[in-house]
Amino acid sequence: MFERTVQRIDFVGRWKVWFAISGILLLAGVVSIGLGRLNLGIDFEGGAKFTVSGATHRLSTGEIRNQVLPNYAARGAVIQPAGKNGYQIQTPVLSQKQIQQVKNDIKQKLGGEVSVTSVSPTFGGQVQTQALQAMGAAFLIIILFISFRFEFAFALAAILALFHDLLMTVGFYAIVGREVSLITVVAVLTILGYSLYDTIIIFDRIRENAPTVGYNRRRFDQTINTSIRQVIRRSIYTSLSTVIPVAALLIFGESTLSDFAFALLVGIISGTYSSIFIASPTLSLYKAWRGGKLRQAASSS
Amino acid sequence: MGSRRNNLLILGLVALMLAATVYVIFIRQPVQQATRLGLDLKGGVAVQLKGYHTNGQPVTRDEMQQAVQVIQRRINSLGVTEPEVQIQGQNQVSVQIPGLTNERQAVKVIGKTAQLGFYPVKDFAAQQSVPKDQVKKVESTLQKKLKGSSAYKKGKTKILFEEDPSLSGSGVDVTGYVVPDQPSITGKALKPNGAKVDFDQANKRVVTLQLTSEGGKKMSQLTQKMLTQSQMSGKPPLLAIVLDNDVISAPQVQSVLAQNIQISNDSLPQGLPENEAKQLQVVLNAGALPVNMKVLSVEQVGPTLGADSLRSGLTAALAGFALVLVFLVVIYRVLGLIADLALLIYAFLLWGIVVAVPITMTLPGIAGIVLSIGVAADANIVIFERIKEEVRRGKSSRTAIQLGYEKGFRAILDGNVTTLITAFILFALSTAQVKGFAFMLAVGVVLSMFTAVVVTRALLGLLAGRRVRLTPPMMGVSRKNVQERGSAVGAK
Repeated sequence: MFERTVQRIDFVGRWKVWFAISGILLLAGVVSIGLGRLNLGIDFEGGAKFTVSGATHRLSTGEIRNQVLPNYAARGAVIQPAGKNGYQIQTPVLSQKQIQQVKNDIKQKLGGEVSVTSVSPTFGGQVQTQALQAMGAAFLIIILFISFRFEFAFALAAILALFHDLLMTVGFYAIVGREVSLITVVAVLTILGYSLYDTIIIFDRIRENAPTVGYNRRRFDQTINTSIRQVIRRSIYTSLSTVIPVAALLIFGESTLSDFAFALLVGIISGTYSSIFIASPTLSLYKAWRGGKLRQAASSS
Repeated sequence: MGSRRNNLLILGLVALMLAATVYVIFIRQPVQQATRLGLDLKGGVAVQLKGYHTNGQPVTRDEMQQAVQVIQRRINSLGVTEPEVQIQGQNQVSVQIPGLTNERQAVKVIGKTAQLGFYPVKDFAAQQSVPKDQVKKVESTLQKKLKGSSAYKKGKTKILFEEDPSLSGSGVDVTGYVVPDQPSITGKALKPNGAKVDFDQANKRVVTLQLTSEGGKKMSQLTQKMLTQSQMSGKPPLLAIVLDNDVISAPQVQSVLAQNIQISNDSLPQGLPENEAKQLQVVLNAGALPVNMKVLSVEQVGPTLGADSLRSGLTAALAGFALVLVFLVVIYRVLGLIADLALLIYAFLLWGIVVAVPITMTLPGIAGIVLSIGVAADANIVIFERIKEEVRRGKSSRTAIQLGYEKGFRAILDGNVTTLITAFILFALSTAQVKGFAFMLAVGVVLSMFTAVVVTRALLGLLAGRRVRLTPPMMGVSRKNVQERGSAVGAK
């Protein structure tokens, strides 16, 4: 059943369909980002986060805002229930003294244990710069590595797929309004590596199957299709074998772990899709375009 | 058969590694103490600080190292166990104190520059019983007033403030002092461990400072001069004792002082508050920081939250691990069992490495391990799919296995190199949290290359060589597909 469906799909020829599917999702993400829905956490902007565990009094988020938090903390505070008998309260930047006060107030009114993390805006800025630098470095090194192991056309296609996954993950974060933390950035960078792994496995097969003599578009496209058909099962299985533990993190893990798992989940699914439906057609299109240019150059001379 | 000997050698090596791991985890110490847990899993305080000079000069490595030592001394005198103080990057320090719940106290003790100075007061102005939220306003009025004083000379003097609980019981007494720009005597005059919490005759808590003999000489010269000047000007001779630009006490000098100085608080019935006195003693004895410290981030995790995180993290990791094991068997049958065995070996060896290095286990670290389990399983899937493909083409199981490993390895290597690249880049990001994840991921990837490729191959090789015939169904290939021989081969 699976086998027969796969045999019938033209992975390269129907590229417009695959690109359109991605395009719609990406557009939704970009629009959400544009609307300012990307929720940057205290890691980037500075602020304080109070985590209440084992609270003995249950209060609604509104009650917490109006009755528990002092004025300066209530403004701009994000209050969420976390787990059972737990809350997470995020406020803008507070002084150490104010933090102590808010912490005491929370402990008094809600009971349980209060943990707190505070980040200064300078540090947030530094984290942001470092994250961007790391991302840039990752892209650069990956392009070099693939160009060296394969050829530039492959690197180009792989990077396009990476951008796709990156934008997809960030877009999804904006759509669902989940908080972006330092851990999210780590997850995203990991996705880059992972998505690439998937792409490389397909490219490796294309390289193996591609005839060494000359370039012919029809033949090359067919090679890509065949290669994908040969490895698609593997691609799906490897994704599953990673999605399974990551899903466990999402379900059983709390706060940090579930944040991390969410980003990974979106990224892995997007990565699997992009390796097959984005990277491979791109490779074909780029090769055809190059081939066309070369032929033009040859006929005009 | 040479390859058989190789396989046995590899498995022997694995057995040795497992034995070493058992020793490291279970025998060397009780297993409960084997794994070192990070602050996010057992509770504690982590503080990130940045060193800087007020004049904008760059901070040197030497100064940072000195700062680390001073901070270490200060934390040690707080009496907590296993604090970790590390330099990060050019000018940052990360401080981790397990088991501590009062982050404010920690920040006060760690971040104080603790530059002690003694100044003769040239002029002063005070306002009593100021409500707490008006302190800043009052200070700026006092400042304006003092700048008009004849004692104030721009560039040569500065104005420092003292805040004390009011004698009348409500609000704060705010006093501004005009003092010379540079202190007459600095913290260098303090004897090693010369600060001590004590009680005076009235049984009020004070901190006594013992000066070196040279410091004592300077002190008697200074106070002598102050007494003489006071007789001429008629103003009381006040000695401001200043810590980091805050006047902590400004007693009137009654007679020439020498090596023993007292910091007291006359307005409170019990003298200095206990906390404050203790902190003074700690920071003064540990010495001043060579640089100023700015607090970048403070993380405080309570023990309950830590335990919750640990439990949910472990549940998630184990559940994920178990599901992957089941998944592999369902799809690859006998091959899957072998992969499962390799995965179990992998997980156990990884635990051994974590304990042996030792790597501090954090939440991101757990995430890294879980992800690396997925990656380890991936390597097996890549190879097994290849083997199944060769079986479908009608190859014997032995040849198929050999081809599967040969052809699969290249893709696995490329894929893992890219994961390693990201891990190294993440490591360079340098924030402690991220480092933990990156390190775990890198260790996991390298180790998984060994268990998922080398170990499974040895196991399979031994199995196939031992006249155990692996039939296609045992590897998850239905016989029908083997006969077909068509579809999957395509390009060949």
